[in-house]
Amino acid sequence: MKADMELVIVHDGEQWIASNDSLKASGCTLPELDENLKQVIIKSGVFKPGTKITVFMGFDYSTIPTWIRQYAAHYFNRYVSIEL
Amino acid sequence: MEAVNRKWYSGMLSTEDWWAVWLGLTMFVAGLFSIVGVDLVGWMAKPGTWVTADKMLKVTGYDMNPWAALLVTYIIFTCLTCIGAYFMKLDVKKFFYGFTIIFAITWACWLIGHNAYLAAVPNEWDKYGITWGLALGGGASYMLALAVGLIIGNFFKGFAKFLHEAAKPEWFIKTAIVFLGIKVGLMSMEAASYTFELAVAGAAATFVAYMLFWPIVYSLGRKTFKLPRQWAAVLASGISICGVSAAVATGGAIRSKPIIPVLVSMLIVVFAMIELIILPGLYTATLDHEPIVAGAAMGMTVKTDGADAAAGAILDELMRSKAALRGVHWQEGWILTSAVMTKIWIDMFIGVWAFVLALIWVYKVERQPGQSHVGASEIWFRFPKFVLGYLLTWFVYLGIAVFGPDLVEAASHGAKIVQSPMRKMFFMLTFVSIGVITDFSKLRGMGRMALIYAIALFLIIAPIALIVAYIFHHGMMPLPA
Repeated sequence: MKADMELVIVHDGEQWIASNDSLKASGCTLPELDENLKQVIIKSGVFKPGTKITVFMGFDYSTIPTWIRQYAAHYFNRYVSIEL
Repeated sequence: MEAVNRKWYSGMLSTEDWWAVWLGLTMFVAGLFSIVGVDLVGWMAKPGTWVTADKMLKVTGYDMNPWAALLVTYIIFTCLTCIGAYFMKLDVKKFFYGFTIIFAITWACWLIGHNAYLAAVPNEWDKYGITWGLALGGGASYMLALAVGLIIGNFFKGFAKFLHEAAKPEWFIKTAIVFLGIKVGLMSMEAASYTFELAVAGAAATFVAYMLFWPIVYSLGRKTFKLPRQWAAVLASGISICGVSAAVATGGAIRSKPIIPVLVSMLIVVFAMIELIILPGLYTATLDHEPIVAGAAMGMTVKTDGADAAAGAILDELMRSKAALRGVHWQEGWILTSAVMTKIWIDMFIGVWAFVLALIWVYKVERQPGQSHVGASEIWFRFPKFVLGYLLTWFVYLGIAVFGPDLVEAASHGAKIVQSPMRKMFFMLTFVSIGVITDFSKLRGMGRMALIYAIALFLIIAPIALIVAYIFHHGMMPLPA
């Protein structure tokens, strides 16, 4: 699936954090993260208000403890539709 | 550095799963050269059953000193695994030292375990000039390696920590399973319909068992132990599907905090060891008349590929040794294959199951406006890639039997070295490593979760697995040796 924006997502023990080189958003739950991300994107001015964009979030598996990586190599990726 | 699975080829050079394929296929291809009369694997050392020390080590193909062959074996596998460690971004220096020590422990246990008093079965006693023995077959080496690994992991924790970089039971066992594909291919040459029957019965049993396991364990967690939904789902998958990989896949599918599958995984690793210690002996004592049922039940009960294949290997050795006492001699590998076959079906099933769970979670349980989508690529990212190596090696040898019967004898020469001593060495590496990374003290503070796990495992999973394995496999026996 094609995305208008690609972010890396991690969990720091308290909140989900999605970021790329130019923006960063966080939230205790994924819906909260998505809402905060929407505000950050609007503020950045990269997309026009009213635009509907698809955001790809790929979980950074390097944040999973090393000993578990031999059992599984993927946590999740998600695509979120956001109307700005 | 970030590690995000974005493309279909993501992780091909950086995950243990793929490196099991590369390592397995490297030796598989080297073994295939015997078809054109070139022996590229004859340097492999192997243990011999011994009474005097000069007989403890042998060479599989080349005419060379056995200790020199062992040195070559060490150099080749150390180089290959260090290359893998480099691409997996492990600390190569620590890996090298750790692997060297694990390799030395592995071979010491393997050689000691082949002492005739431990390994030889009664009909071989005259050959070795002995009048008594424990008749454990290759099981003696496996149990010794496991015991040594566990002692290190639980009593020499500083040393175990030093070895952790190289103690990779899942990598080693997945490589061994790719080698096992060659063995299954050779077995298919002899008994294609029986191998096919075993595969189909394994698939059917797995499907039936998992339709029962997950909802029962999930309900137990939710209704009896009042676990939050996410904890119950991750725990249910971990206990009832394929252990750590299922717990991680489910955690990701339902978008739980990563700490949930991490904690559940700690529990799974310890319990897998308990299963590995208890079940082979228990099944050998009670199910020796139904060895394939026991193998299949093992595959559905024991979590993590390493523990399951290890338990299957011990079961294979113990069952055959016990049968030999009755004067019945079975071919090596059929019981192990039945254990691994069900496990592989389960491993393949988890990608689809996690995808279904993700759909249910995203579109039903936690439905929200500004909907997020679940990509079908998630199935591929969670697909166990070592299975591709296993199937490829299996079908190539099956193809040789079908389309080039004249090549079978030449192909078998290289294949036998890869599928037997190399595969068993990787099993031995797994036994030592799985012991090293298992720390029983991690159960402390996990009272309620450990209780649910124990109840689910011993009162739900193990009995149902046994019944289902019996329904689909009863009457199937290993081929006579």
